[in-house]
Amino acid sequence: MTISWIQACILGVFASLSSMPGMAGSTIGNYTLGRPLVGGLVCGLVLGDLKMGIAAGVAMQLVYIALVTPGGTVSADVRAVSYIGIPLAMVAIHSQGLAATSANAADLAKSMGTLVGTVGTVLFYGTATMNLVWQHMGWRAVEKGDFHKLYAVDWGYPWISHLIFSFLPTVLMTHFGANAVQALKTALPMDGIPMKTLFTVGALLPCVGIAILLKQIVDSPVDFIPFFVGFTFAASLKLNLVSVTVVSLIFAMISYKLDMAISANRQPAPASSGGGSVTDDEEDEDI
Amino acid sequence: MENTTKKTISRKTLNKSFHHWFYGHLTAFSQEHMQTFGYLTSMLPIVEELYDNKADQEKAMKTYTAFFNTEPQLGSIIVGITASLEEARANDGGVDDSTINGLRAGLMGPIAGIGDSLVVGTLIPVILGIALGMSDGGSPLGAIFYIIVWNLLGYFGMRFAYFKGYELGDKAVGILVGAQGKAIRKAIGTVGGMVVGGVAATWVTVKTSFKLTNSSGKAYLVLQDKLDAVYPGLLTAAFIVLCWSLMAKKNISPIRVMLILVVVALAGVLVGFFNPGLTY
Repeated sequence: MTISWIQACILGVFASLSSMPGMAGSTIGNYTLGRPLVGGLVCGLVLGDLKMGIAAGVAMQLVYIALVTPGGTVSADVRAVSYIGIPLAMVAIHSQGLAATSANAADLAKSMGTLVGTVGTVLFYGTATMNLVWQHMGWRAVEKGDFHKLYAVDWGYPWISHLIFSFLPTVLMTHFGANAVQALKTALPMDGIPMKTLFTVGALLPCVGIAILLKQIVDSPVDFIPFFVGFTFAASLKLNLVSVTVVSLIFAMISYKLDMAISANRQPAPASSGGGSVTDDEEDEDI
Repeated sequence: MENTTKKTISRKTLNKSFHHWFYGHLTAFSQEHMQTFGYLTSMLPIVEELYDNKADQEKAMKTYTAFFNTEPQLGSIIVGITASLEEARANDGGVDDSTINGLRAGLMGPIAGIGDSLVVGTLIPVILGIALGMSDGGSPLGAIFYIIVWNLLGYFGMRFAYFKGYELGDKAVGILVGAQGKAIRKAIGTVGGMVVGGVAATWVTVKTSFKLTNSSGKAYLVLQDKLDAVYPGLLTAAFIVLCWSLMAKKNISPIRVMLILVVVALAGVLVGFFNPGLTY
């Protein structure tokens, strides 16, 4: 399996659309096209192996099931994961002769995708830094009262940043990387320590994705209880995700009603008795 | 010099403003100004409709040059609120620069907190979790399901937030950061926690290949079976808690944690704790 220039260019356009400050807007771009599951669909169609594309996308999606970017700090770049990592993983799976939907193929995809995704954060900072040039032009336009220039600054010029930091890296890395991946097979035998480690890392990496998400919702050890209840439902009782969500709603309802009842009780009390502490808790949010 | 008719923003302009935000809130992102330019482009149609003369337009636009960043999906509500405040300012409703910017700055943080846990932390993983199940085995069905469901919820959810913000104006602030906002956040956190637990148990598997065999080669201790007998998925859960504690308690960055896992994997492979069982 190789990646032609035309295929690489299509992937490059999708990379420009899907990155964190992407040209398709964050709802359609980052949160749709940037998700590895959707990236797997696109890459599968472009490279002509839909089944393998989806399988690689599913595997990588697990690592990044909750890619939160609090305050614009990124730990992985979705354009690199979805449009450089997935195509290269597909080539690697193909050249290693693994079955598309096997667990080994999934682990290989995870390692490959995460490696590329982490290195790809360079692309994120590159794009964001280059956008400063357009923003500088924007500030001058605002000073002059030439407000319509803002549309070009917000929607037009950043394409140039993406040409340099999304399109070109994707085209070059997928086109030439595919050959490198083919060579990897002879260099690293499957039963050697490096490959075993790579696959094991692939199995461990989703734990980081889950942990990033947990960091958002767990402040104290007690907050782990909902997580373990959900875990138990799925692991021991074999409930599927929709069922787990439905069960969780009843706990959410109880929690909400309880909190509202408590705050309703507090209302008649003198204003000094703790109204202040309620708002204090809210202040320490990340932006 | 009092205006006889009250100025109102037309529905068409509000729609335009919303779509500018929906599309452009992050397109010109930089670490320094983040969503500021997206904000400027979504306020521009409103400012142009409310003020006829250039000087007033310039004065109004200056307000929105202040730094802005929040969770953009739920953050639509803040844009809606400021649209309503700008309308009040145009009608001389006792609103000035500092009112608008004070409110924007005060809402950015809490909305980012709610938005990250509600949208990115719960809604997206749930839809993705369902979609992953549908795509198991390489079917495109799950990916298509995700594209449709997320975009419909994302678009109409943001639209709802924007127009709700416009309708409520500064009254929305009390709801968002008050006791009710806090109760909603906690309830969402409960759903989020349980769903993430379900996602982890369904999709993440950490297994050990460690076993002890007797002289005839028969295994008398298979560690993985013993661990699962204690609590199914114990090893997976343990690794997740380990990663969490490294990040949350020791303040180690996710990238560093990944590097630590590489070392753990290598050590585990060397001692025979991990073996992916690869063959050609």
